[in-house]
Amino acid sequence: MAASALRVAPQWSGLVLSIRRAVCRLPGLTQVRCVRYAPEFKDPLIDKNYYQKPVTELTEEEKYHQEVRTTQLIKAAPSTHTSSVFADPVISKFTNMMMKGGNKVLARSLMAQTLETLKRKQFEKYHAASVEEQANIERNPYKIFHQALKNCEPVIGLESILKGGHFYQVPVPLVDRRRRFLAMKWMITECRENKHRRTLMPEKLSHELLEAFHNRGPVIKRKHNMHKMAEANRALAHYRWW
Amino acid sequence: LDPGCSFHVSSQASQKNQVPVEHPRAISRTSESDPAKHGEQHEGQHYSIPLQDLKMVFPHGLPPRFVMQVKTFGEACLMIRKPALELLHYLKNTNFAHPAVRYLLYGEKGTGKTLTLCHAIHFCAKHDWMILHIPDAHLWVKNCQELLPSTYNKQRFDQPLEASTWLKNFRTTNERFLSKIKVQEKYVWNKRESTEKGSPLGEVIEQGITRVRNATDAVGIVLKELKRQSSMGMFHLLVAVDGVNALWGRTTLKREDKSLIAPEELALVHNLRKMVKNDWHGGAVVLTLSQTGSLFKPRTAYLPHELLGKEGFDDLDPFLPILISNYNPKEFESSFQYYLENSWLQHEKAPTEEGKKELLFLSNSNPGQLERLCACL
Repeated sequence: MAASALRVAPQWSGLVLSIRRAVCRLPGLTQVRCVRYAPEFKDPLIDKNYYQKPVTELTEEEKYHQEVRTTQLIKAAPSTHTSSVFADPVISKFTNMMMKGGNKVLARSLMAQTLETLKRKQFEKYHAASVEEQANIERNPYKIFHQALKNCEPVIGLESILKGGHFYQVPVPLVDRRRRFLAMKWMITECRENKHRRTLMPEKLSHELLEAFHNRGPVIKRKHNMHKMAEANRALAHYRWW
Repeated sequence: LDPGCSFHVSSQASQKNQVPVEHPRAISRTSESDPAKHGEQHEGQHYSIPLQDLKMVFPHGLPPRFVMQVKTFGEACLMIRKPALELLHYLKNTNFAHPAVRYLLYGEKGTGKTLTLCHAIHFCAKHDWMILHIPDAHLWVKNCQELLPSTYNKQRFDQPLEASTWLKNFRTTNERFLSKIKVQEKYVWNKRESTEKGSPLGEVIEQGITRVRNATDAVGIVLKELKRQSSMGMFHLLVAVDGVNALWGRTTLKREDKSLIAPEELALVHNLRKMVKNDWHGGAVVLTLSQTGSLFKPRTAYLPHELLGKEGFDDLDPFLPILISNYNPKEFESSFQYYLENSWLQHEKAPTEEGKKELLFLSNSNPGQLERLCACL
């Protein structure tokens, strides 16, 4: 594994040489496909407004920071970091969780198709509804997506704790990021497994997201099951020591 | 109110940071629904086709994403663009005594060749021309479920399914002509059935639809009769073929002994090639190149010589090429306003200036790409 990552280096440009010197200590060999940076490397700053500010508007401190950054070593920005106005961290995380085998192109296109299907379904309902109902129909796929995932987040979770040779399911408070992860995980598992062989992911996902948006459907049911189990095992709460 | 004048007013207004509420309509829409009256002042604006007309004139032939858009918005709006205006100008001034002129629409992927063709077809339908529209010639040279040896000529092959679907759609478009055009020869289908000389063309089409085995021959008869009779001046004929490079490309169809079939061995392709020759008069031929459905052609190919090959180019040789390019800034603005008006852009940042600049950059003003980007925003 390590041997495949190391290669005899031809003449590299000066920029890469600095990384080589900082990263690997073996002479004449450079590592490829490795993202272990030395501690002196700083994180990249991706902010259009920061770079587009004209020089006259900068304060003394900002000018100093910009000059210092020109001398510092900076890591390469990952290709997922964008300065796009349409970028959404929740959607990116969900796309990464849907991805299989590193096929980001497919995952992103499935996500785009899901948002489109959501929009078209809601537009159909909008045109078929009366004027009073039209105000209640949400046509923004991003709002539906965020609200649906928020509705699927459990409030309390269960943890397997080993005590006296047996594993007990103990109710445990969940951190925000764990809740978001569970909501997304349940949604993806539901859409992968409980569908007909020939239904496509965007169709099933859009259907489940709409159901979750209205607080019904299998993912919400799974959240409620988790809450009920936590309520039932209330007595075991003392097994938690943190 | 001159639409061109109000466009300038609204652009000045937006520079002063006022949001023009009524002016976007003047940029993106026009109420002129007759293609004959479209002129340079309507460039960049959308005109709507009534849905009844749409079902009659386009039972097939619209791009699938456009059909989805029509279903979602509840209206069919086409943008009036310069190449289409040029083509309509030529069609309006056709000399029906001269041989049919062949117009070839070409351009990169997603620039609007098929919709320009549909604009021309709508114009001709409004002016009572006979429309012979083959929606996608590529469908005839690939993925054929049933391939039968032809009843008319032993060397050729029949495609009953494709021929019968095409005949049904042809009948929907040209209902009003079918009883007026009379067949000028006797056609014998088999021992029991035949069509007499002087019977209406509708009978031939009925025969082709009911007896699917004879559908390909029915198509051949329809093409032959239309060519002969439009030369006599009884009606004007528009031959519109999308993806004409399929007729001279390669096929993926194989015989039982797994040897490849050349396109000229398919009866449908053979008859269509005769149709797009310029040896008849009384109409026009509008063709579109398409790489999207083509076989064994690289994705970046869009020029006539690359897609048609030597044989196709020589067959089509005196033709009028019309290049269809990406949106210019005015057309992009119009398309953007159209999507905003229909509330298609639901993302909060989409109506802002940065959102618009980003869409312009990501799509490179390509109409197809812009549509796909706006669909998921």
